[in-house]
Amino acid sequence: MSPQHPVERYFSNSDIPDETLDHLLREARQKLEPRMRVIRRSEAAVGITKSPYGPLLIAVGPAGLLMVHYLNTQSMQHGIAMLRLKFDPIEDAQAAEQIGDQIRRFAAGERDALEYKSDLSLVTGDFQRRALQRLMEVPFGAVITYHALAATIGAPSAQRAVGNAMATNPIPIYVPCHRVVRSDGIIGHYGGGTQCKVELLRTEGFAIGQNLRLPAQAVCGHRVTHIFCRPDCSAARRANPDKTLIFATAESARHAGLRACKLCHPQ
Amino acid sequence: MMANPGLKLPPPFEEAIAPYERELMRFMVRMTGNHDDATELFQEMCLRAYKAYPRLEDFSEIRAWLYRIATNLGRNRARDNARRSRVIVDAGASYREPASDQIGAQQDVAAVRTLIEALPEKQRQALTMRKLGGLEYDQIAAALGCSIEGARANVSQALKKLKAEWSQL
Repeated sequence: MSPQHPVERYFSNSDIPDETLDHLLREARQKLEPRMRVIRRSEAAVGITKSPYGPLLIAVGPAGLLMVHYLNTQSMQHGIAMLRLKFDPIEDAQAAEQIGDQIRRFAAGERDALEYKSDLSLVTGDFQRRALQRLMEVPFGAVITYHALAATIGAPSAQRAVGNAMATNPIPIYVPCHRVVRSDGIIGHYGGGTQCKVELLRTEGFAIGQNLRLPAQAVCGHRVTHIFCRPDCSAARRANPDKTLIFATAESARHAGLRACKLCHPQ
Repeated sequence: MMANPGLKLPPPFEEAIAPYERELMRFMVRMTGNHDDATELFQEMCLRAYKAYPRLEDFSEIRAWLYRIATNLGRNRARDNARRSRVIVDAGASYREPASDQIGAQQDVAAVRTLIEALPEKQRQALTMRKLGGLEYDQIAAALGCSIEGARANVSQALKKLKAEWSQL
């Protein structure tokens, strides 16, 4: 085609000047701003911090901690993709360090170190939200079984679903899904790896050995009567296992506000 | 502690689309033939792109992705307009062609534009993206959701048709 052809000339000559485009863009942006404000997602500060459980991806939103993501076992891309569905991520190493500092203190045995507020915004399902909320009531130094946790949210046969809810917990450590174990005493799986669960439970006073079982010297605490017993106490054997928490030591049960049984005298 | 080189976050939305805003606006003025409609369409595109931004995974695709949103919106708009009224409004009313004013070929330009507007939707968009947006064929293909050969064919058929119809004028 010759450059003189009107069709070609149309494409080569009829460019819209940049000033016109910039003017139109300014106009569009001005009108756009109030409309964007309506749909804009909140910002979340994101960073990576080191911890005894490996590197962690941390996200903090305006209403609290949103995400603790084990980078040893889970993909960073997946974590960020989850976060982006509800928040606009902004890199902020300082916010991540603040959380990392609390986690490191927690790992060193400081039981009240995890004081940052949790925000369950990234939880999608109502069932999971209820399970995680009830789980937060399980104190330091105690564990609950998948079955018992299911019972507390009114679905006593949903232990598998509780397992799934724990597996996709967006804020492990802070929402203590490591404190959920199998009914047969084996500690079960963990998002950060089983070894990580062992470490976390050891931090809370459970002497977990190679067999990945809870130790026999743990004590049983009743959530309703607030009494704790030896596991072989006749009162403990009669108690509903769904209402029972297993404490690492009598001391941690006392710390959680329970009193010792007057029959079996757990030390 | 040091900044983590491992953390790779997507750029904020405004930053991500900034390099393409001007060419997208040009594309929209072409597509609508009208400044007001173009600014309106641009806003719609931003809103829609922002909502869908979390689902964009491959950031090297963002230019084609934005064009795809723009062409889809343009198609919806064309369909709605056609449905709403059959009355042909002078779409070029607020549209000026400053460069062609200078060379005094206004009639030719208007005629070519009429011919372009009469092209099938896909050909018109492919041609506009190629000739006025300067996109590569793979990007056009991604935007239109067709193969690269398809994109190439759409552009060349559009040109062929334009020339043929021009000679019949």
